[in-house]
Amino acid sequence: MKPYEATQPPQDYSRYMDLEEGWVDRRIFWDQAIYERELEAIFARCWQFVAHESQLPKNGDFLTTYLGEDGVIVSRHTDGKVYVYLNACPHRGNKLCFADEGSARRFTCNYHGWAFNTAGELTGLPSEQEAYDAGDIDKRQWGARQARVESYKGLIFATFDATAPSLEEYLGDYRWYLDAFVDNDEGGIEFLPGLIKSYASANWKFGVENFIGDAYHAFWNHDSGGKAMMGGPFPPYDPKDTFHASVNGHGWEFSLDGFGDIAILGSQEVLDYYAERKAHMAARVGELRSRIFGSLASAAIFPNMTFLPGIHTFRTWLPRGPRKLELRIWTVVPKDAPQSVKQAINKACNLTFNPAGTLEMDDGENWEGNTRTNAGWISRHEKLHYGCGRSRRVEHPQLPGIIHTGQVNDANQRLFYQRWADLMNARTWADVPQRYTPRFAGRPTR
Amino acid sequence: MSADEGLDMLPIAQHLALTQALYREARLLDQERYADWLALLADDVRYRLPLASRRFRADRSAALAEGPGYVFDDDKGRLTLRVQRLESGLVWAEDPRNAVRRIVSNVEIYRADGDGEAVVHSVLEIHRSRIDAQQRRLTAARTDRWRDTQGHWRLVARDIRFDHPVVIDSNLNVFF
Repeated sequence: MKPYEATQPPQDYSRYMDLEEGWVDRRIFWDQAIYERELEAIFARCWQFVAHESQLPKNGDFLTTYLGEDGVIVSRHTDGKVYVYLNACPHRGNKLCFADEGSARRFTCNYHGWAFNTAGELTGLPSEQEAYDAGDIDKRQWGARQARVESYKGLIFATFDATAPSLEEYLGDYRWYLDAFVDNDEGGIEFLPGLIKSYASANWKFGVENFIGDAYHAFWNHDSGGKAMMGGPFPPYDPKDTFHASVNGHGWEFSLDGFGDIAILGSQEVLDYYAERKAHMAARVGELRSRIFGSLASAAIFPNMTFLPGIHTFRTWLPRGPRKLELRIWTVVPKDAPQSVKQAINKACNLTFNPAGTLEMDDGENWEGNTRTNAGWISRHEKLHYGCGRSRRVEHPQLPGIIHTGQVNDANQRLFYQRWADLMNARTWADVPQRYTPRFAGRPTR
Repeated sequence: MSADEGLDMLPIAQHLALTQALYREARLLDQERYADWLALLADDVRYRLPLASRRFRADRSAALAEGPGYVFDDDKGRLTLRVQRLESGLVWAEDPRNAVRRIVSNVEIYRADGDGEAVVHSVLEIHRSRIDAQQRRLTAARTDRWRDTQGHWRLVARDIRFDHPVVIDSNLNVFF
């Protein structure tokens, strides 16, 4: 199939922010026209997480998700490979698969019965001989549109952009941080079955920027959950040995205490498991990364995948227009951990970080408020303050990417919006500037 | 005769007392009387809300057997912890308070195998008037097990099922 023709950016999106001064214009969280450009310039272009290998163990296993608002089927075909393709019939456009997940040999459109195999190829037309004449249709040309699929240590990503850089280049040195979570153990991670979905009347970026760098909100917003889970308030903020790291708009804020987030799970069994694993972890990914994992931290991969490494929760923030999002949450566990540790992590994750969780319950309300107040004409044209920690950039001998000191900081958020503007303003990938100096270009990070 | 039809009813007085207990429970929660609600729960209570995925009817693949994700998978300790959080005075999303009204309907009560226990089916509709005038309606089916403890009914198990595979609200700051 022909690649899509990229359109000219309809306006200069840099005017919606001044990151030196430290502000972002509120219209990017509300405006329909800006959102339409996001669908093209961000969601039709960037690599996005679609599944983890462990969710599709067998041929025929599939799940349905979205790249932006484009529904896709993610399925493991009979050749053992994972394919990602539009969840829409090329005949009249109806949705092909209405199930969330499962196992299938084919997907048959409800409307006329066009049938597709688990690689998205058109394999059957009802009454083909009687209904169609020779030359009417070349079935090989009318399969579902395929996305590119690449994976990093079990995390499967997809994009419809034939010109996008490789996933490795897209993640860049962020792989160094990602390894601290997904590769700190030979077995790596697995996603537990049991996806939790929820809706919020909020702009998708508020969820992502919360994870990319907002350690600040925890102390006030999650005070009730912290007290319930730990029996007392969060320890007061101490900026010493805490950081913001940003690469290509991805971000990770963290301390180096090694156990802060694991402790929030409130399970002695899980704490003991990791206390015992730390030396092995240090041997595998280095002492520094063994301390990054498990600490008070949060992280996001641009544009819309986020996680809390020590809490063991992964999620995607699917846009549903500028004022609504769909959140999808999974619990992630070390594959080689004992079953009882996996269960303890899963139960603790359910208790803390899902829509009924003792910590997460406080969040959604804020993002809805952040969004809804833009209904006011005056409000919408105001600026939001993103100026925290503007002068804290450092070069760090061991930490790759753009580093700022102090995990209470707006640095990663500013760099997220810079990447957003870079993409919104770019007609092609060649127009997207490289904002950091890679240390691991072309080589593995572990 | 289907399996459901031969089930034993409770004597009318017990049936009424248990029906009253369901309505009273709903009122206690509407009024945020959480300590009184916890007192209605047996010490060995099991309280669960799974979120099932939508699958094709013919799909019998393994993932289904591996179990759903749980919004609630709680014992009394975890429910108590949730209540402690709600009563901490620090839950900003509930201040001003959200008005919540529970409607309990389609109540069926049958004698259970266990000593002095009953199985209760009901439908719950929750109307939630959140701060900033947002209205939300949540519907769920419940299958309970209640135990008669010296004339007082105590909730032993509750399995809650949503009709939607998605939580249609940004938080679920309510008990079902």
